[in-house]
This record gives sequence, C-alpha cells and structure tokens, in this order.
Amino acid sequence: MVTKNNAEVVVIGTGVVGVLIAEQLLDAGISVLMLEAGPRVSRAEIVENFRNAPLGLKGDTSVSYPPAPWAPHPTGPTGGAHDYLQLSGPDSYAQTYIRYAGGSTWHWAGTSWRLTPEDMRLKSLYGVGRDWAFDYDTLDPFYTRAEYKLGICGPSNPEQQWPRRARLKPYPMPPLPFSPGETRFTQIVKELGYNNIPVSQARNSGMPYDDRPACCANNNCVPVCPVGAKYDAATALGRLEAKGAKILADAVVYKVETNGQNRIEAVHYLDPNKQSHRVAGKLFVIAANGLETPKLLLMSKDDRNPNGIANRSDQVGRNMMDHPQLTLTVTTKEPFWSGVGPVVNSGIMETSQGAFRSEHAGAYFRYNNFARNRFVTFAALKKGLVGKALDEEIRRMTACTADIVAAHEILPHPDNRLTLSDKTDWLGLPKPSIHYDVGDYVRRSAEVYSLPIGKKIAAAMGATDVKISPKFAQSKHIMGGTIMGADAMNSVVDTDCRSHDHDNLFLPGGGAMASTACGNSTITMAALALRSADAIVSQMKGAH
Amino acid sequence: MSLINKLRAALAAAAMVTVAVPAVAQQFPDSVVERGRYLATASDCTACHTNTGGKPMAGGHVISSPVGGIVATNITPSKSFGIGTYTETQFADAVRKGVLPDGTHLFPAMPYTAYAVMTDEDIHALYAYFMQAVTPVDEALTAKTDLPFPLNIRLSMFGWNLLFANAKPFVADPARSAEWNRGRYLVEGAAHCGTCHTPRGIFMQEKTDQPLAGAQVGPWFAPNITKDKTAGIGSWSHDELVTYLKTGRLVGKAQAAGSMGEAITHSFTHMTDADLSAMATYVLDLPASPAGAVAGGTRFDQGKAGNELAGFRGEGFAKGMKGPKEGAQIYSANCASCHGYNAQGTTDAYYPSLFSNSATGGPNAANLVATILFGVDRETGHGHVFMPPFGGQPNAVTSLTNAEVASLSNYVLKTYGNSTLTVTPAEVQTIRIGGPQSDLLLMARVGMGAGAAVALIAALVLLVYGLRRRRPAAPAPTGV
Repeated sequence: MVTKNNAEVVVIGTGVVGVLIAEQLLDAGISVLMLEAGPRVSRAEIVENFRNAPLGLKGDTSVSYPPAPWAPHPTGPTGGAHDYLQLSGPDSYAQTYIRYAGGSTWHWAGTSWRLTPEDMRLKSLYGVGRDWAFDYDTLDPFYTRAEYKLGICGPSNPEQQWPRRARLKPYPMPPLPFSPGETRFTQIVKELGYNNIPVSQARNSGMPYDDRPACCANNNCVPVCPVGAKYDAATALGRLEAKGAKILADAVVYKVETNGQNRIEAVHYLDPNKQSHRVAGKLFVIAANGLETPKLLLMSKDDRNPNGIANRSDQVGRNMMDHPQLTLTVTTKEPFWSGVGPVVNSGIMETSQGAFRSEHAGAYFRYNNFARNRFVTFAALKKGLVGKALDEEIRRMTACTADIVAAHEILPHPDNRLTLSDKTDWLGLPKPSIHYDVGDYVRRSAEVYSLPIGKKIAAAMGATDVKISPKFAQSKHIMGGTIMGADAMNSVVDTDCRSHDHDNLFLPGGGAMASTACGNSTITMAALALRSADAIVSQMKGAH
Repeated sequence: MSLINKLRAALAAAAMVTVAVPAVAQQFPDSVVERGRYLATASDCTACHTNTGGKPMAGGHVISSPVGGIVATNITPSKSFGIGTYTETQFADAVRKGVLPDGTHLFPAMPYTAYAVMTDEDIHALYAYFMQAVTPVDEALTAKTDLPFPLNIRLSMFGWNLLFANAKPFVADPARSAEWNRGRYLVEGAAHCGTCHTPRGIFMQEKTDQPLAGAQVGPWFAPNITKDKTAGIGSWSHDELVTYLKTGRLVGKAQAAGSMGEAITHSFTHMTDADLSAMATYVLDLPASPAGAVAGGTRFDQGKAGNELAGFRGEGFAKGMKGPKEGAQIYSANCASCHGYNAQGTTDAYYPSLFSNSATGGPNAANLVATILFGVDRETGHGHVFMPPFGGQPNAVTSLTNAEVASLSNYVLKTYGNSTLTVTPAEVQTIRIGGPQSDLLLMARVGMGAGAAVALIAALVLLVYGLRRRRPAAPAPTGV
C-alpha cells in the first residue's frame, strides 16, 4: 500500500537511478513512493522553452529547464554564472544538472561507455586512486541489463565494441550511421593509429524500442530529445505510475530521520508552501544525484550521526569527481559537416588505457557532432557581414569548424569536497559548497599526453587554426561523493550501494563510483542501480 | 428463404452439433498446413486472437465494439481451453456460421459473416493449420466479454444471424476472370474488408447495398474505398492499391494506422503479390459510392505547407498556450520534430506530410484525432513505422488534454487538411474512449422494463417489417 506519506520503499529522486530501481521493486510487488524536489513538466513545454530561447542562450540548459524557486539548480551557459553552487579551489566544479521529475537525463547526450576491467583496478595495476570493491565480471551482467532497459544501440563488430572483450549479449540495437564529419574524422585518425568507434548510446536507432519512437535526427539531444527517442528517465514515469508507483513532485526532502537502532525511520520534505511533511517507509533510496545526495546526508546530521547520515567514515561529500575536459576548436579548409544524427555519435576510447596511468590520466577523444551553426553564427556576425555574404560565411564556418574534446579521468581525492555553505536557498536550506582541484594527475596528462594527441589530430585534419580551452571544463558527470568500498572506515557504501552505517538506506548512483575512467558515467550508474535493486528486493523479501 | 425455413435450417445445424464426433489426432500434409497458415494470415486471425505480448492465438485481446468489450478466445488446439476437441465440422461452423459446438453464438466481432464464403477446401486447410501447427496454450483467459444487458444474451444472436448471416460458400462467376474471382473471394472472405469499410445498420449488420463505402470502426474511420474518383480511391491506380496493401502507405496520399495498420502488419504484407493484385482488381471494380466526398478535390489532396510560428515564437510557452495560436504551438511542440515545421514530412516519407494526406483531408476528423491519441504502429518488410501516442498512455510523449487535441486538430485541419471541419473537446473524448457507441444498446435498453427479450424480439420484428417494405429500419422507440 502506497500513500503520499508511506510506502514500503521511499525513493528520493526521479532520475535514471531512481526510476530504474523503482521499476524493479514494483515488478517484484513492492510498493514505491518517489519524492522529486523539482516540478514535473511536459516534454512539449521543454521543447518550446528551447525553441523560444534566443540563439545566444540556447547553450544554457537552464533556459529550457528554468529552476523552480524551491528546487534551485545551477544556471548559466557554462554553469559558471550561477549562484546556487558555492565554488572554490583552483578549478571550478561548475556542474549543470536539473531538479525536474525525470532528472538530468532529460539533457544528457545518451553516451553509454562502459568501464573496462582495468578502469576498476587502478590501485592494483597502476598504484593510483582506488580499486573497486568488486571486479568487472561482477558488474558485467548488470551492464547488460542496463543496456536493455535503457535501450542502447551499439556495434555488433567486436573490433568496434568497448571494452574489447566478449559481450554477454549483443546490443539491443545497431549503431547509428556516422555523419559526414565523423566519417572523415574516423579516416584521419585511423592514419594516426587511432580507432574512432561508434558510441554505445541510449538512442533508438532506426526502430522503435521501449514503446518509444526511432531517432529522427533532430540533433537536439542536448538539451532535450523532442520525441523521446533518446532514453531519459522522464519517459519511464508514466509507466511506473501504471505499475503502481506514487510520484510526488515539488517535494524537497531536507531531512533524513533515524531511530534508536540508527536505522532510517522517515524522511521529511518541504512543499512549495514551505510546509513540512513526514514520509515513513521500511527502506529508503536516496538517488538525488551525486551532489544533492551528499548534501542531504550532511544536512541531516543528528545526535547519533554528528557528521551527517551515513558518514561515520567522514567520506560523505569527499572525492568529488568528474571528467575534466579540454576542447580543441579546429578550423579547417576542408568541409567536415557535423550535425547529421545525434550530438555525440563516436569516440576514441583506446587512449584512455595504458601503463601511463601510473603517471597521468588517460583521455577519451570525441568529435562533437553538434550542428555548428549555433556556435559560429555570432562569430560570423562579428565580421560585419550581411545578407548573402553572412549566410555564406555561416555556412562555411558551420562546415569547416569542429570541436575535438578530450575528456580525462580523475582520481578520488578527499580534499575535493562538498560541504554545506552558510548561504541558504529560497526554502532556507543550505546551498552546496564545493572545493575542487583537478590535480597534477590530470594536468600532467594535458601537458604530456592528451593535448599533444589532440594537436596531432588537429594537424592531420588540416587545421588552419586551433583554439584550446584555457581551463578544464566540467563534463557534468558527478561522481564520488558517497564512495563505495569494502572498508566502512574509508567509504560510504558497500558493494550494493547500501550505507555502511544504516542497513535500510541505499545511496546508489554516480556517488558510489570509486574510479571515473574517461567515459560518461550514466551507464555505470544504471548498472549499479540494478545491482542495488536486486539487493533491495532480496532484503525486502527477508533474505537479508 | 423464409423465416420458418431459416429456423429449421438452424435447428438442423444445432442437431448435427450434438452428434458430432470429437476430433482425434490427425496428421495433415505439410502442404495443406502451409496453405492453412497462409489463409490464417490472410484472415488476420492473430489481430484479435493474439493479445499484445501474449502467446499466438491464445486469446485475451479485448475488441472494443460500439456496444462494449468483447474478449477474443483461445483458438489454439488446447483441449481444455482452446479448440483442440473440435471436429472439422464444428470448426467450420464456428468460422463460417459463428456457432460453437455447444450451440453458443459468437458475436459478429468474429467476422463469420465474411468467412462464410470460404470454401470447404480452405476450411479444411485452416483446420489442419490450427490443429497441427499452432502450439496449444493450456491457460484460462483472465478477461471476460463484458457486454451490457441485454446484449450479453448470446441467444439474441440467433435472430440476428437469421436476418443478416446470409453468405454461402464461394461460387466463382464464370463470366469474370480468374483474378477477379480470386479477388472477390479474398475481399469478401478472408480479408473481410467489408467488416470495417462497409457501413453498418442499426443492428450492426453490414449494409450490403453500400459495400466498402466507409464506416466508423471504434475510434478509427475506415474510409470509402470504392472506385469513386473523388470520394473513394478511384484516383489510385491498381498498382498503387497493391503498394498500399503491401507497405501500408502510398506516399503523398495515405497511410495505414489503427486496425488497418494491424491488418497490413499481420496480414496483407505477408500475402502474395498475385493475391494483392487480385484484391485490387476486385475492389476497383465495385460500384462507385459518393459517400464521404470532400469539397474541392479528393481526401488525398487537401491543404498545403505552412506554419504560424511567427504568431507565438518567443512569447513563452504559457502565453502561447493561452493565445489564438495555441494549436500552432502544440503542433510545434509535439509534431514538428518529425513532421517538419511546415508539416512537409521527410523526403523518404517515413514521416508523412500532413497535407495531401487522407488522415487530415477526409470527410471527418476521426482518423486525425485517433492518430494523435493512439499513434501509429505498423510493421512491414519496408520497416517499422511507429508514431508514439499523445493520449495519456504510459508511453505518451506528451499527454494532451481533450481541449489540446481539439485545438491541435483544428490547427492541422485548417492549415493542412479539410478546412471545413472542426473538432470539439467532446468529440475528442468520444474517440479517446473508443469511438461512438451504438444506438443498439439504447434501443435494447428502452424495453428493459418489459423484459429484454421482448424488446429484442420486438425490435427484430420491426426490422423485418421494415425490410419487407423495402424501407430503412424503423427508428428506435422513443420515450427514454
């Protein structure tokens, strides 16, 4: 029986991790109440928000997803101009994410690179970072399930798969074709010895899947797929409700309540009228993203848990990670033409692996497949051109410019830390404060490895001009803040993403990841979610 | 045949049932089984008898009819839950007469009035296929046919059959070509085109004097497919009709959705080119009907490209939804990403243009509204066409309200389709809940105070009276 203040399992967050777990529980006959801080908005409205935005603002996801006063999230084109995240340190942890029902997969690209076995054993193999508490083979079946659940398209040729090892099952859908620019890029890097392979991505390629339509190449994946051909968690909300879930939007959880056994008894949320409500349950899942989850745990400190919930180890909010990225904007003589198909459609992954990882980070290179006209129009206007000359220059720059992105792995470091700011938001809740330094491991990579490779590729493309971003930008892949480990004194969650300190509290998702590798984090988060879901089902059925 | 003779014949048939010998395991030659498989495909048995995600022919699919939901049964050769104990004669009676071995009458949602033309040889092949090649499913149905009183009295079908189930096994017309005869056999029988496309009378019987002139079938409208050049498909060539049946679309004219999409997916696309050609030959030879003509051309050439983006772009979503351009904004938000900002579709026509399209240019807006609410799902060798629904389903891209669907429909009709039509939210609601309901229910219930059976018999007598006088059936009694 689920009501608006009670269920067997209470899930906080309606993003990809929350909805994957919720559906597994519903399928097992367990009642689920989901609490979402932000509003529930129709795809139609988000699409129109994007289309109504002036060209210069279209790069700012918050234009399509204006935050509700009670559920602020970062705003501004690069996440830099916002006032919600309080940032400090040599580098800026300027993430963007949204607090909407459906979560930030609303605006992800759909890129779904798995980790490799080596990515999970950095300490053993290279003497850096942390090893995962289990190996790749343990995660493999959950990756497969996640790929079928989300609907991942990818190549059937083993030479083009990542990682290069036998798959348990083929991808549910074939890869999407390359754009003209990607095709040319692939040929060029091949001559340099690199394989640009189709990205495995959560996008319906040439066929419907999951009762959602095929991709029709709007090239609008970020900030929103207008047709739902790209998986996003919002596409699952209606199905979850049909299966009996109750979903409360505009419910900002601000406190986790423990009982005498130090188990979780309830959570409390504020509604838009600033009224507080208490929600009880037998088991709790906090999947509010890698930044909001540690924030909530720290906010909920009580007498039994003076450092915050689940924080006996003092690791909650530490080890904040991402994929620091550098972009090489290349101008070429030869037209490349990106923009046909999805915004990210291929990548070079092999550069993420190697013995060098004892010295510096690996990197993943991608040729961004965003249509370029949005980015080059202002540059063309600044040249003072009008009429046909302006059109021609926009066309030329659209064809003859490209972004090559190098995304780096980063090591977990306790000083990259989220704490609670003195500043408060509209509801009076503390804003998150994050200190961040990408570290020498990443900087060294840029110096001796990734940028030299990037420049070599740019030269091979016939670049007449290369602009390199002056600072590391964030990839919006929030990881590490509730890190997983076998040692309860040095990690927050166990191998099921269960809190070491509270056996009925699960903290699944990117926060649990003990290494980042170079590929996007969502598919690993999804695999961890399904692993957690299995553990929750067996725990609820009394097997634990 | 007089009423009395009909009664006698029916009683004799019922008597035969009681002496029928149960089926024994038989071995049919593969060639016969394969012929039966083809006929089962041509007859689209699976459309009703295989539930979504269910086992083949195991039943459970709820057929929405204008008088209520009818659950298709398990027709696998399961001896306990299917038709495994049927003799061939019993099987033939069920398929051609709508009568089960125990005397139960099927509702005409089962198109036995069409299948009645099937030859003994084809019935034999179908029987062989079902008994030998369909996997028995020993599972009870969970759903039950739930027709409102008094229509749930199956005996009432007895009288209905006397009046309306007149077809006989097919006899070829020697004056016509073999192809024409083959086409007639398929169109009237297995393919049962008239089941949807022929308008029905007040007792849900097909109006045999208006074959294929167009009819509302649940939420969808099965249009006039007679050879009339403006109201029907007389502007199509024979080959174009074959292409449509094979692929479910004719670029720049029409595409199949709803139950026609299912018929294409499960049946027509699997039929031989020769059979499709024969069907086209026969259909295009039927008398032209002017029913459902639209002004200024055919339903295939209404509307033109265009947009009203300048009327709301940049104003903000909420403001746009309140203004006169609401429909245009709903179009932009939900439709333009596939069909194009000018509704021009794509060059490969996977996403059709919305002008020059029978769904928007027809004599009524049912198919437009139904497409918006329920989407399209059609799979052939030429690809899987899938348009998601917008009617509040779990996978609806956006769940549009009745008012929003009406507003969107009116924008589409005005700009791209039959601009003489308008849609109200109430009409959208009618389509949303499965289409207009039949007057039959109301008629039958009028007499419920005096007893349903009396009412039904009275209604039947009125009808017979009307038929004899060669006039339309008497109107429903008033006084409700």
